[in-house]
Amino acid sequence: MSENILSVKGVHKSFGGVHALKGVDLTIKKGEVHCLAGENGCGKSTIIKVISGVHKPDSGEVELNGKKYTSITPSEAIEAGVQIIYQDFSVFPNLTVMENLAINKALASKKKFINKKEFRRIAEEAVNKINFKVDLDALVEDLPVADKQLIAISRALLADAKLIIMDEPTTTLTKTEVKRLFEIIEDLKEQGVTILFVSHKLDEVYEICDSITIFRNGENVLSCQVSEMDDEKFAYYMTGRKFDSQNIKQNAKAGDSILEVKNLSAPGFDNVNFNLRKGEVLGISGQLGSGRTELSLALFGLLKPYEGSIVVDGKEVNITSPAKAQELGIALVPEDRLTEGLFLSQSIKRNINVTKLDELSSKLGVMNITALTDESKGWVKNIGVKTKDHEYPVQTLSGGNQQKVVLARWLATNPNVLILNAPTVGVDIGAKHDIHTLLRNLANEGRGIIVVSDDVKELVDVCDRVMVMQQGKIINEIASGDLNADMLSQYI
Amino acid sequence: MKLLKNNSLSLNQLDGNTARLLTMFVAIFLVASLTKPDMFLSSGNFQSMSKQLVEYGLLSLGVGIAMISGGIDLSVVYIANLSAIVTGMVMKALVLTAVGPELLLFILIAVLAGVLTGFLCGAFNGFLISKLHIPAMLATLGTMQLYMGIAIIISGGSTVSGIPRVFSQLISNSYLFGIPLSFFIYLFVVGFIIFIMSKTKFGMRVFLIGTNARAAAFSGIKINNVLIKTYILSGLLASLAGILSLARLSSAKADFGSSYIMQTILIVVLGGINPNGGYGTIRGIFLATITVQVISSFLNMFPEISNYYRDLIWGVAVIGVLIVNFSANKKTTAKLAKATAN
Amino acid sequence: MNSLTTKKLKKSLVSTEFFVLVLIVLLAVFIEMQSGLFFTNNNLVDLLRSMIVPSIFALCAYLGFISTGPDVSFPLIAALSSYIATQFVVITGFQGSIAIVFLVAIAVGLVLGSINGFIIAKYNFPSLIVTLGTSTIFSGILLGAFEASRMELPATMADFGRQSLLAVTNAKAGIGSSLPMTFLIFVGLYIIVYFVLNHTMAGRGVFAVGGDETSAERAGFNVKLIRFGVFTVSGAIAAIAGVCYTVESLYYLPTEFAGEEMIVIAAVILGGTRLMGGVGTLKGTILGTLLITIVTNSLILVGIPVYWQKFFIGAIIIIGTAISVIQSHNLFKSKKSKDSKGLQNSEVVINETAQKQ
Ligand SMILES: Nc1ncnc2c1ncn2[C@@H]1O[C@H](COP(=O)(O)OP(=O)(O)O)[C@@H](O)[C@H]1O
Ligand SMILES: [Mg+2]
Repeated sequence: MSENILSVKGVHKSFGGVHALKGVDLTIKKGEVHCLAGENGCGKSTIIKVISGVHKPDSGEVELNGKKYTSITPSEAIEAGVQIIYQDFSVFPNLTVMENLAINKALASKKKFINKKEFRRIAEEAVNKINFKVDLDALVEDLPVADKQLIAISRALLADAKLIIMDEPTTTLTKTEVKRLFEIIEDLKEQGVTILFVSHKLDEVYEICDSITIFRNGENVLSCQVSEMDDEKFAYYMTGRKFDSQNIKQNAKAGDSILEVKNLSAPGFDNVNFNLRKGEVLGISGQLGSGRTELSLALFGLLKPYEGSIVVDGKEVNITSPAKAQELGIALVPEDRLTEGLFLSQSIKRNINVTKLDELSSKLGVMNITALTDESKGWVKNIGVKTKDHEYPVQTLSGGNQQKVVLARWLATNPNVLILNAPTVGVDIGAKHDIHTLLRNLANEGRGIIVVSDDVKELVDVCDRVMVMQQGKIINEIASGDLNADMLSQYI
Repeated sequence: MKLLKNNSLSLNQLDGNTARLLTMFVAIFLVASLTKPDMFLSSGNFQSMSKQLVEYGLLSLGVGIAMISGGIDLSVVYIANLSAIVTGMVMKALVLTAVGPELLLFILIAVLAGVLTGFLCGAFNGFLISKLHIPAMLATLGTMQLYMGIAIIISGGSTVSGIPRVFSQLISNSYLFGIPLSFFIYLFVVGFIIFIMSKTKFGMRVFLIGTNARAAAFSGIKINNVLIKTYILSGLLASLAGILSLARLSSAKADFGSSYIMQTILIVVLGGINPNGGYGTIRGIFLATITVQVISSFLNMFPEISNYYRDLIWGVAVIGVLIVNFSANKKTTAKLAKATAN
Repeated sequence: MNSLTTKKLKKSLVSTEFFVLVLIVLLAVFIEMQSGLFFTNNNLVDLLRSMIVPSIFALCAYLGFISTGPDVSFPLIAALSSYIATQFVVITGFQGSIAIVFLVAIAVGLVLGSINGFIIAKYNFPSLIVTLGTSTIFSGILLGAFEASRMELPATMADFGRQSLLAVTNAKAGIGSSLPMTFLIFVGLYIIVYFVLNHTMAGRGVFAVGGDETSAERAGFNVKLIRFGVFTVSGAIAAIAGVCYTVESLYYLPTEFAGEEMIVIAAVILGGTRLMGGVGTLKGTILGTLLITIVTNSLILVGIPVYWQKFFIGAIIIIGTAISVIQSHNLFKSKKSKDSKGLQNSEVVINETAQKQ
């Protein structure tokens, strides 16, 4: 028998033009806590879904407990003792907390009938393990995000797993909850359970992991013991560049206020105040579910505030729809490129043109095709979208180029305020640098930029100041002088 | 290095289906011409074919646009019937005493009343779907009953007949080069819809909403506005179909042509519209319409084949076409991914 | 503990089932006041009798909705399988138990249902379009290939149809009503389906698949098998409804079935079954069916002409779906979103799902 519980070799996986995995290897020894690190979008979740059988790899193999699989199914993976805490939690919104907790175990033990009493017992055991207080009879769709994550965690801990994979399990957890989780990981380790812990937070890695594998842009770039790691090395392998090599901030001088938010409250956040100036890049950060995304949606007319006011260019405005936001010169590059940003099967041209239709059509609504074509061609060239033809479906592009298309769409509207949510997730280093430089340039032209992100490095690199949100409130604001990675990571 | 091959790839998805349709059309046309030359190739047959396809051809356009936007419109047949009944009743009420030019004016008013009915029905569908967020399928399933119900109520459940002869003469029995006027109306409408869907911003937005409504909202498209217009357009097309059928049959009834629902969906799917939205061409719907008409007329030449068999064939065709398009698309996507991989 | 029960009480008070119940009571009282004929023994038995077949059909529609989406093929599955079962008795001169007749129909229903199930599970096409397609095919087979037409029932079946479970006569009006044996089948089916859905893993799998397909797959449910199974079983249930309908009416008429799907779907949606899958109760389904049956049965009692029926049904479907959609917006802030990244808790005002079927 090998001493490796999991060994992945040469796995490739593409989604259209996005090469999420480019022949990665990943080996985990029995009984260790192994960390898989890498920036957002480097393929961590994808490799996990390959291991669990959710995705079929294009090529390569997975070896679990010495057994080789070229394509494994989810139930085979579960039978082989793999339990996963998915990044998107993978809960059933329409079932009760109790059922969500117990159903996987019942399924794994091949039960045919349901015993409600036993379900309740299993569920209680699950929540007690992590001191999680929740109404077992509530429907999961009524719960806040953090509770969903806790359900996903406690559910995975229940099964008699040999290997537990945790895909960024701490994104919504408070400090105490994280601490409790780490205690549990220690316990599991003592019982001989192997853990694959996915994170891009350095302190977490130091605290509980034995060894580490780092992915960058779909390739594995480093595998070693955590004891051999240090901050600089970590940052270097994660990002592919030296820690402070990038200095794109050119001490821009902030001008007049361009966007002012006063006492703004909406579902997801409460009483938010800030002032964005011309030429400024403002960062907004916080955990998943902290209200950072909702705030960006409210500024773009997709979420209706209960109260408070938004002032654009000195005038109080009521942003009722994205169309209205566009009129006011506000643009949003959304968080999830695939579902919110792109029309995947449509051409690059249509994806860019969508915001220009009104402007480049006659009064009767007939499109000026030449103008639209020129517009799209111009942007493809300007912003450096790598493609052979702008008539190609946008899904054929790589992640970075897809993001540039979304950016181009909004830059075409010549916005005064540009809001970007997670602007460089799943974007390769080259494109990331391009985008960051572009953002600084846009600021220098006198626009106001808001970057919503949980990428500490990104925030430090491009922002003039950063506001940190927690549970819907702004809990801290870090000004330019104090802005550094260590400082920020404390809050996120 | 693969530039040439790649260029054709991006259009493959559309061309594949059009090519399949054309082949199918030609093949069936040939078979029909060879096996029943005297009946099929007669000018009478062409006249009746071009008359028959107009109504469901128009209905299919409406269903097709709704499907491109990511929804469906099941109520078109009953919008058509309701419009025909309204037109017929208004006409009867006004025209009884009228003569000469006044008559024509009254006919025009009656037709406008029918068109207005289609507009209102479509707007109501659009309201339910966009503002109230009721899934298109259920909203139009409901309005289908509702419009039929209204039609039954206002017509008292009986056939509306006794339409002025001029009206049917004018529309249904005028020919240009031996081709009925109604067919020209249909061709004109097809051209107009092709123009709307490919050359206007509205058309582009319908495609984008059908591809990804969420992304459309994030791109500043006023989804509700576009969807209401979409269903209004579908309602207008349906009312036109209803008015033409009133002219052809000189009568209207609340439950005429119930089997057209299936047929329009068949045509739309056959025409290459993706049932999940975002894909397809009006040209495809047009080709599918004439193909279905040719098959239908051909089958009619075999009296021993019961009408009911036609249902069977349509049903099999819908599912068959779905499966063929599904596999073809899968292949195209795979090819595209491969071609762009290096 | 106390707060928990009040919470539960509150929840059941805003539930759709409760609304429907209130509506039924109001309607009953209204009809009684208008006509004085609602709470008569024969009217009540008539209502029960009229509910039997729609309620069994409602199971098919309900199963479709909670697992996948709309299914409109059950009336024709019923028509075709009960035709074959009847023909089987006519041709073979079968004299035995009625149970065998049902079994023949069920076998046919299973086959027809499995065709739906196969296409929907394998290709993931919209269930509405697939079932529209298959029901046209079934209708073509029934009326084209079999040339089915009105048939008198053979004695075995007619006898079963005439047996009554309960017979009442209205003393005043002298009108009698009786409850056929098929009532027991209806009750039995609901008990079985209830048990399977709530007490077996397969049943919970149906809800899991309807609630979140991706999660179900990751948890190790065989999503395709579950969908296939649901539509196959639904075929069998439709077949049972078909035979019940046939024996109740004492003759077989092939054209009586089509069109029933609309009313049944209206009933199921009224009962609170969510359009997007995963949510809905049998209690709601029965209440919805009862409401619709009262409306269709009692329009005459209050002097509304029959031809208003379509209008009322259409209006009820629209109002029912609108209420159910609006409720699911308010009560549960999150919509069923495939991307669970952070947006779950926000009320992003877009109708991403509303358009899809
Ligand atoms: N289902 C999908 N379709 C298309 N692209 C995808 C899909 N899933 C992931 N991707 C892309 O693959 C890349 C890797 O994603 P992922 O594995 O989720 O990254 P992470 O390391 O943050 O977990 C990203 O660019 C992402 O956009
Ligand atoms: Mg991930």
